[in-house]
Formats: sequence, structure tokens, C-alpha cells
Amino acid sequence: MISIERSLDTPRWQRVALPFVSLILAAIISGLVLAASGHDPIATYRQIYAASFTSPGALTSTFVYATPLLFTGLCVAVAFRMRVWNIGGEGQLYMGAIGASGAGLLLGGLPQPLLIPVMIVAGVLAGALWAMIPGLLRAYLQTNEILVSLMLNYVAGLVMYFLIYDSQSFWRDLTSPTALVFPTGKTLSASATWPGVVIGSFTLPTGFLVGVGVAVLLFVLVRGTRFGFEMRVMGDSTSAATYAGMRTRRIILAVMALSGGIAGLGGASQIGDFGHVLDPRGLQQAQYGYTGIVVAALALYNPLAVIVVSILIGALTNAGFALQGPSFPAGLVGTMEGIILFSVLGGEMLGRYRIRIGSPLRVAPADAEADPGR
Amino acid sequence: MPSPVLTADALSKWTTSNPYKAAFIYVGAPSDAGWTHAHEVGRLAVQAAFGGRVQTMYKENVPEGPQAAQVVTQLINQGANIIFATSFGYQDTLVAAAKAHPNVLFEQATGTEQLPNLAEYYGAGENGDYLSGMAAGAATKNGKIGFVAPYPIPEVIREIDAFTMGARSMNPNATVRVVWTNTWFDPAKERQAAESLVAAGVDVLGDGQDSPTTGQVAAAAGLKWTGYDSNQESFAPAAWLTATTYNWGPYYINDIAAAMNGTWKTHFYYGGLNDGFVIMAPFGQSVSAATQAAILAKEAEIKAGTFDPFTGPITKQDGSIGVPAGTTLPVYTPTGLSKYSINWFVQGVIGNPAG
Repeated sequence: MISIERSLDTPRWQRVALPFVSLILAAIISGLVLAASGHDPIATYRQIYAASFTSPGALTSTFVYATPLLFTGLCVAVAFRMRVWNIGGEGQLYMGAIGASGAGLLLGGLPQPLLIPVMIVAGVLAGALWAMIPGLLRAYLQTNEILVSLMLNYVAGLVMYFLIYDSQSFWRDLTSPTALVFPTGKTLSASATWPGVVIGSFTLPTGFLVGVGVAVLLFVLVRGTRFGFEMRVMGDSTSAATYAGMRTRRIILAVMALSGGIAGLGGASQIGDFGHVLDPRGLQQAQYGYTGIVVAALALYNPLAVIVVSILIGALTNAGFALQGPSFPAGLVGTMEGIILFSVLGGEMLGRYRIRIGSPLRVAPADAEADPGR
Repeated sequence: MPSPVLTADALSKWTTSNPYKAAFIYVGAPSDAGWTHAHEVGRLAVQAAFGGRVQTMYKENVPEGPQAAQVVTQLINQGANIIFATSFGYQDTLVAAAKAHPNVLFEQATGTEQLPNLAEYYGAGENGDYLSGMAAGAATKNGKIGFVAPYPIPEVIREIDAFTMGARSMNPNATVRVVWTNTWFDPAKERQAAESLVAAGVDVLGDGQDSPTTGQVAAAAGLKWTGYDSNQESFAPAAWLTATTYNWGPYYINDIAAAMNGTWKTHFYYGGLNDGFVIMAPFGQSVSAATQAAILAKEAEIKAGTFDPFTGPITKQDGSIGVPAGTTLPVYTPTGLSKYSINWFVQGVIGNPAG
């Protein structure tokens, strides 16, 4: 009889070291896969490093991928920590993009320092409101927010399509010759373009800076405030929170709005930092919301770790395009990403649980399963 | 395939140790058996024609958004001399890149924008679709044809219009029911759309998608099917009628040779059946000799320039006149109605051209 039970005495250094050991393990397994498919692992890793960070323009590219993942990763991290399973970051990002582009188009005449905050607020509000739908349904009708938030991703995608392809909406460009050939959104004015921080040839997107600020705020909120304490109690046990007299409904709604608002901010950054136009196909093909779940899981749902992981996954995605070609199939890049995810999550589990051979002596606490990030 | 003609200068400049670098940006995967596969066949033809003098590379599944700009930057970093972007959604990216990199050549499939170092290329798929439509119109028994369509955009609308006019030339009462998938390539969505058309009672299916999924649905339901992009007969031989296919190879070879010779100039290429850019796939077994003869006769008229499906009178879906008698729609004009901006369905289509 083999059983898995919670390890009660994991030293702190081990918890910190685990992800790094897992990453090294992932590099070794990936190396074997690369070697088996006829690629020199060391040369490939060198190429990945160069394509992610050191070749001309590479670092800027990496942050183009990392910025949306930072937001969708934080969106998932904050919700999953509280055991609110918001899978709707994808749709909340779309709604944020709709809100921010709408605000940017409507108030395009405002000066840049005023317009950027307005776009951010519009994106956050749109994402938060969209997330309130599964939030309210969960809080008052006990519906499963996994299903509702997931389904709403498709609805949000169709809303974007409706605005650009199927209607004469405010967002759609109805005049330019290009738009007559292929429906596109209106391009935002120059003052709605987020400037970024230019350091030599490297441009740090404004959105990434904002995202780092959000991550720090979240960290402080969860660790250092009464609201954060309530969220943590609820994250550990909903019934304990109820017994303690906490208003669990209100907390669920707040977490959902916070999570959706962050994804919506990611949508605003897509418009302000990169796209400058509401682009349904581009946003849907990118699938940032779903990748955000991977980012949050790899970061073990820690907001500060999400910053690092989003850069790493952004770098890997960026390098993935540089690597792929006739002799390097795109699937191999996906395989490597999968190996990293598997190793880090597997390592985390091995660190927190132990395998016992023989009859189980102790029953693990009831809430130990499906309990992310403690 | 034509063999490239290179000048002495080009032959001494571009060698195995210093190859000319041609890059392709794919919206899907080369294994899609449709649109991207056809471009990949073109890339391989380039590689075969030039040998070591040209190094080809490609990036697959590149999203049509801000990320495409990064992929273009990477390709330029990797030394690309010419970049072919094979989907409309890359146009804005390519315009910006062409302005920023005047020494690199760019070509954009299905777009409209031209710059000194940015050319446009595509071809009259609609003429092939007219012929596919004839095969579908001859094959339908109950007069109901279904069409699985990607995006409600002029490029697709004109193909459905031509397909419908072709079908009604064989069966004046035929109707074409359209379902939109809002994707170029997504076999699951394509399957859903095709199955919904089968449920609506159609007995022939057509599609404008990048995968042959519609054909597999048709074969499973015992129906007939016209494909798109590539010869997809092997995916559903019993259902197969014919398909519009694109032969990108000769165009790519020609343009890369010109670029290597230094004679490349910006252009708006619109190929067709006459120059071998559009090729009808072989007929399926169920297409009768009489139908084949009718289609081949019409194909000969199109090649000779004596027939264009978009010559008036053309009646719109709502019964009003879309193109008056004696007028033929131009391929593209920045203003006014052209094949590139047509946004209405002809009579006989059941569906909403706005999606």
C-alpha cells in the first residue's frame, strides 16, 4: 500500500530551494529530449538565452510577452489563493481592452498624463464588472465559478467580434480603405499611446511597471491588512471564516472584482502599450488568460514570484519563435514548457507531501488537497 | 515549377556560404492541410529551385497582433533579406517594419498597402470558387448547399458570392447556407459549423477554412464536398468534388529571383487561373463527364478573359441590383465598390454577410 500524505516538517530553506532544484531538473530532462531529437542541448540553451535577452531587440520582445502574462498571472494568483477559481482572466482581459480602447477613443483629445490613468480605470472597471457576473452567481446562488467564468471567456470573445466584425460600433473603423477590405478597429490617438521607459535600445512597457506596482500592493494587502487576513482565513477554510463571523460573500465578490480588475488592466495595457487598436483576432490567438494560469501555478500563487515567472515564460515564448523553423518544430518548444511546469509543480508536491509505503498512520487534514500556495 | 533565372552578379554574390535569406510568417501550422500547407509547399519549391543559394526559414502559429512585430524583428536579426507574411492580419505590422527597415523587402499576402519595399500578392480564388460552385450545384439533389466560412470579410464574401453564382448556373434554384466560424483554422469549430449545416438539411458542403474537417463531416454524413486551398481529396475521397487551390511556388521563386538579381520592384500581384496561380484540384469520382465538360469550358473562358463572375447584372440577396449590366468589378480600388471591398451576398445565399 502506497499513500501520499502531508509532510509536517518541511524546513523553510527547502521550500525556497525547491523551485530552483526543479528548474535544474527540468533543464536536464529537456536536454535529454533535445538530444534525443537531434539538437545540441547546450547550444539550444545558449540560443534561448540570446533570443530572450541579449540579441538586438530581444529584451524588448521578451517584455512584450511578459507584460500581459504578469497581469493574467496576478489575476489567477490572487483568486486561486483565496480558493476562488477564476478561470475567466481571458475574457476579463478582452473586456478591459474594450473598456480601455473605448475610453481612449472617446477622450482621445485629453493630454497623455490624464488619458493614461483614464484608460487604466476604464480597463480595470470593465474587467472587474465582467468578473462580478461569476462572482455574484457564486456568492448568492452557489454556482460553480469555474464553469461560469470559463464560459464567459467565449462570450467576451464574441462581444469583441460583434464590435469589430458584425456591427457599425463606435470601436470599428468604417472609413479607411484598409478597413473596407478587412474589418479593423479605430486606431487610438498618439496621446493614448503609453510611452514606456526607454533605456538605450530597450523599452520597458508602461504596463509592466504598473503591473509590478500591483504585485507589490497585492503582497502588502494579503500580508498586512485586515482584509488580507480575512481573505487568507477564507482561503484556508470557508467554514472557519463563516464561523468567525466574516462576511464570506463580500470577500468572494471583492476577490473576484480584484482578480477581474487586474486582468482588465492587462487588457488596457494591450491597447495602450502595444496594439493601439481593438483587435479581436490578435487577442484571442494570444491566449494570455489561459497562459496566466500556468504563470500563477509556477509562481506558487505568490504575487512577487509572478513578476519573475512572467518574465521567464515571456522569455521562453519569445525564444520559442526564434528557435522554431524547418529543423526545430514549434511542438518542441511547447514540450519544453510542459516539462518545466511538470517539474516545478511536481517538485512542489514532493516537497509538501511525503510518500509512505505501508498503511497510512495519519489522515491528512481535510483541506490539504487542492490547496494552492501555502 | 519554373527554374529561376539569375544574373551573373547574383550568382557570384549569393552562394552556399552567403545564401539569400527568405523568411515566411505562417498564421497556422504547415501541417494544416490547407492554407499554410499550400504556402509551405511554395517554400519547399523555393528551396528546391535555388538549392544552397537561398536559405528559407519560417515561423508558424504567429498571432496576428503586436507579437507579430517581434517575430519580424527576430527574422531581420536572423538576417532575412525578404519576408513573406501570409495572412492579412500582419499588414499593419509589415507596414511599420517596411518603414523601419528600408533595406529589407516585404511581401504581404491578401493585403492592400504598398511601399517601395512592400509588395502585395494574392490571386483570384473567387474564379476557382465559381467553378467549385458549379460542381456543387450539379451535385446537389435537394438544391440545398452549405458553406463553412471563416470571417465575414470581403475576401470570404466574394468567394461565397462566386461559389453561389457558380452553383446557380448549374441549378438555378440552388441556395447556399452560410455558417461563420470566426477562425481560419480550428478543426473543432469547423466541425461544429459543418454539422449544424448537415442538421439543416444540406446535401453538399463547401468551405473556405484552412483544414479539411468539413470534408470529413460530409463523408461521414454521405454528402458531397468542395474543399479549399490544397488538394484535400485524400481526406474524404467519397465526398470529394473539387477545390480551388493556390500554387504559391512559382510566384515565390520568381520574386526571390528578382530580389537576388536586384530587379525587385514593389507590385500588386493578382494571379489567376490563366497564369497557373489558381489551379482547380482534380475532380472526384462522382463528378459526371457532362459536369466536368461544363466546368472545363467555363474555366477556359475565364482563362481567355471572356468571362468574369463579377460582371453584371448581379442581384443582391435582397433583390436589389449589386452590379449593373455591363460592369465588371475591379480587383481593388481605394474607394468605391471593388472585389476587395464587396460586403454583400448575392441572391441565393442564406446567411448574414455581417456575421
